[in-house]
Amino acid sequence: MANNLPEVDVVVVGLGGAGGVAVLPLARAGLNVLGLEAGTWMNPTQDYKADEVHNNVRALVTTGSKVGNEIPTVRNAPSETAVQQARHPMMNAVGGTTIHYHAQSWRLNPWDFQVRSATIERYGDGYLPEGSTVEDWPVSYAEMEPYYDHVEYEVGVSGVAGNIQGQINPEGNIFEGPRQRGYPMPPLRSCDFLDHMLEAGKETGFHPYRGPAAINSQPYDGRPGCVYHGYCDRGGCHVRAKNSTDVSTIPKALATGNLVVRDNANVRRIEVDNTGKVTGVTYSRDGEEFFQPARAVLLGCYTYENIRTLLLSRSSFYPNGLGNNRGQVGQHYFGHWDIQGGTLVTALFPFDINIWYGAIAQGVMVDDWADDNFDHSGLGFIGGASLHVYTEKHPIGAAGMGTFGKVERRWGSDWKAFIKENAGRTQTAYIQTNTFPYTHTWADLDPTVRDPYGDPVLRITNGPKRNEPMAAAHAADRMEEWFRKAGASDIVNTGGGRGPGLSTHAHGGTRMGTNPDTNVCDPWGFSFEAKNLGILGGSVMGTAGARNPTQTIQALAWRTAEHLVEAWDDITA
Amino acid sequence: MADNFGKGKTGNTEGSSGISRRKVLSSAVSATSVSLIPLVTTSCTTPIQPSGLVLSAEAQPLLEAFVDRLIPADENGPGALAAGAVFYINNSMADWNSQETDVLVEGLFALTRAARRRFDREFTLLSDSNKDALLRDMEDGQIDGFDNSAQIFSRLHRLTLEGMFSDPYYGGNQNYAGWDLIGYPGAVMASSPDMQRMGGRLPPLHTSAYGSDFDGE
Repeated sequence: MANNLPEVDVVVVGLGGAGGVAVLPLARAGLNVLGLEAGTWMNPTQDYKADEVHNNVRALVTTGSKVGNEIPTVRNAPSETAVQQARHPMMNAVGGTTIHYHAQSWRLNPWDFQVRSATIERYGDGYLPEGSTVEDWPVSYAEMEPYYDHVEYEVGVSGVAGNIQGQINPEGNIFEGPRQRGYPMPPLRSCDFLDHMLEAGKETGFHPYRGPAAINSQPYDGRPGCVYHGYCDRGGCHVRAKNSTDVSTIPKALATGNLVVRDNANVRRIEVDNTGKVTGVTYSRDGEEFFQPARAVLLGCYTYENIRTLLLSRSSFYPNGLGNNRGQVGQHYFGHWDIQGGTLVTALFPFDINIWYGAIAQGVMVDDWADDNFDHSGLGFIGGASLHVYTEKHPIGAAGMGTFGKVERRWGSDWKAFIKENAGRTQTAYIQTNTFPYTHTWADLDPTVRDPYGDPVLRITNGPKRNEPMAAAHAADRMEEWFRKAGASDIVNTGGGRGPGLSTHAHGGTRMGTNPDTNVCDPWGFSFEAKNLGILGGSVMGTAGARNPTQTIQALAWRTAEHLVEAWDDITA
Repeated sequence: MADNFGKGKTGNTEGSSGISRRKVLSSAVSATSVSLIPLVTTSCTTPIQPSGLVLSAEAQPLLEAFVDRLIPADENGPGALAAGAVFYINNSMADWNSQETDVLVEGLFALTRAARRRFDREFTLLSDSNKDALLRDMEDGQIDGFDNSAQIFSRLHRLTLEGMFSDPYYGGNQNYAGWDLIGYPGAVMASSPDMQRMGGRLPPLHTSAYGSDFDGE
């Protein structure tokens, strides 16, 4: 029998990138907020190392006991048996995956919010990808702008604005939507290689700019600037310059006195009454089960766990899972078509580029071949990809480089001479493609694979895509041009790739929209069916931009939390 | 000079900074005394013969011969053997790779059985060119009766790279031989703009993430 706890105003499930931001407007509004987190607090000076074995080989920062037990299975067609992979780098901790993410922090561009209508308007009905369920978002870029601004200032983002109230600055991204003001900090420091790539990009005719990062480029909010030691990937920041929510928004929320953080709490079900209204959550902690009543619940786990928690929370009112009486939970799911999808363009330079140190977010970006920033007439696809070159290279990874056909084997004296000359001369661009939902791609519960509680894990079914690999390949060819202009002697271009299995940029599955028959969440991110349940995270997003989703997830989380405050009486009635 | 892995680390706790000595000892079922813990000095300039820790007396020389052909000592500097890759692999098998040990050892035994069949002698006693011919077949999955040879090769190849190019804290990359080979200056807590300059190699720093005596700070 579960222990019944005293009621709180709001339970936030998961204190990562999304929940860790939502707690701030809630706590500032004076609500009594409880954050339930499956992981615990990290200690930056003890837990984070400048060590590739620690971070990348052994995955000691990213490994979480809960998330490691519930990795989804994946299959490419309904006829296949889905297979579970060994490891997925989502993280259970206060701060969640923002602890070890690369912290590239962008706004989506205005087109991303209106892919459907903008495509039909410019190219006609027939130009939408076949089988796609893409809808316009229920919110425009202009409506999102104030929330992006809150995140940039409260989390802390470094960058150079490309469009302040319509004033275009070619040092920034000329394709971005208008913003009310610039970033709170200048961009991260540049370096010779990035300066070189910036110039080469301009000579190619592109509009390169220095990418924004949720990393302090100078002291901000009482924490220091980045020290560029080169172990951002799969590692946390030992000086707390990376603005993960455990060092940025969560401490601010705690300072109000209105937030309590309960760690090591595995939320297993969201409970409802016989009218379908959410009454609280059941969680396990140290082998005991607790029922935590709440007036409202914000579900803020990673996309996979958001979907799974809803599907597992069955009741007589919701026999197919919470908020799933129209069968939309798990639909419109998709992984981001990025480097995990196999779109790789790798260059070898005939000179040392010395990108050992730095940070992956210390980079230069090109948006010319993303979104609808170029005419797609006759190309047969919509969208495109951003191109990103960056720093931070670790020695084992460097030695494991591809050999560009120059030596037969990746061992022996010939190979040793090859890596001696070339390990410090190569870079693989990071290419992120606009990605859309399809009828043949979804998430549901696996029929056989279970976690240690006996609950099924999620199962991903990935249908074949035609639009995304074409868009990715088109952008990859532009990346190759850019590398050539920069003096690369050899390039390996894999083209469009095969698409992601599991994704660290998983989108959809609890999509937000205006139509309750095709969406789980209303335009504010609350369940159409259980109105005191809000959902935070990439699972509410109906399209993936050609860029990392976190800042949009955080802006949406802020907006959903603020709406809960403003519509409190109606939502909790 | 300072010792690394296994010595001078008694203050560590499990999971906080690499591997504790206690854990290595408790995992090293084949170790009969503390003297079997590999002692590595960073100032040593001659190859150190790895002592058995996890690997048996039969398996250890096979692994040594394997890593020695993957990254040989030559005009470009020390190879994986002198760099202590075998120490690293033993240490990893004593800890986070323990589940993999048996299948990899079986693979090494299958390799030397193939050597006996083809050349009528143990793998360790073959000429370099015969070793390489057999390793190529192993990598390509072309050895009769050794069905998973390509997978085993791939894992041992990966572990050899880790042993050569990881932080010397773990027992490999001794004297920073691996990092010097590829031009990685060393682990630092902060980098200056000058450490990101282009044109020519950066000078070696020879620094570990765990300080000069690997004491986990």
